Amino acid sequence: MQELEIAVHEQACRGCQMCVDVCPTKVFEFDEEKRLCVVKHAEDCIACLSCAYICPSGAITHANYHVVKNFYRDLAFCKKMEKTI
Amino acid sequence: MPDLNESRASLQETMTFLGAIASGLEEAIGESANSISYLAGKRLGMQLSSGIEKTGDIELALISVRKVLLDNGCLWHFEAFKTHDRPEMVQPSDDGQDINLVFRDCMIRQSLFTFGHHQKGSLCNMMFGFFSGALQNIMGHDSTLEILHAGENACYKRLIIHSGENGARKAVTQ
Repeated sequence: MQELEIAVHEQACRGCQMCVDVCPTKVFEFDEEKRLCVVKHAEDCIACLSCAYICPSGAITHANYHVVKNFYRDLAFCKKMEKTI
Repeated sequence: MPDLNESRASLQETMTFLGAIASGLEEAIGESANSISYLAGKRLGMQLSSGIEKTGDIELALISVRKVLLDNGCLWHFEAFKTHDRPEMVQPSDDGQDINLVFRDCMIRQSLFTFGHHQKGSLCNMMFGFFSGALQNIMGHDSTLEILHAGENACYKRLIIHSGENGARKAVTQ
């Protein structure tokens, strides 16, 4: 798998710093000059996706990360919907 | 592939049932549910790791735990993780040593999400118990698996091996 990528989209970020607070590995930093959150240590991202879920403006995206294997209720339905299990 | 689908479906059904029991236990007896799950996990960890090769090296011990989980069809994949501000993967702590772990595919997390239960509850304590039991067998020391962060796609935990003087004393008094 390629290296994990994480990005904060400057135009969407409102500088609320919720990502800074929620990240367990301190990937983000608040840029006082721009008044925006920026990715400071991308190599520390564990792809828990908490930042992406908590960001009110959906400004954070990840790429090349491991998506956890989900449980599905109905195997036949999943097959029909072409979902992996 | 049909075999895999079948085993995944069985696992799903079992975990759904387990999630419901844990949720009911938490509602009925509160935080005591954590102790019950911990002890159940510890017994399971000790049983499944019995006869496995012993080592004093934490990284080798984790490889053994991973093997035990894989051999027994447990969907609990984890890896050691080092952040930029941590000089070494394994670091000395007050009464032993610690290492940070990332848990990605986790049957407990998926079970909790399926029914909308909270993370960091009694089922998560079962994993703490499992590691504690397995590492007691493999390393001969008590350990703590502390949840630093419970995320939607991965969890971040700190494993502390109480191998120092205080840890040894703690294990004896238990």
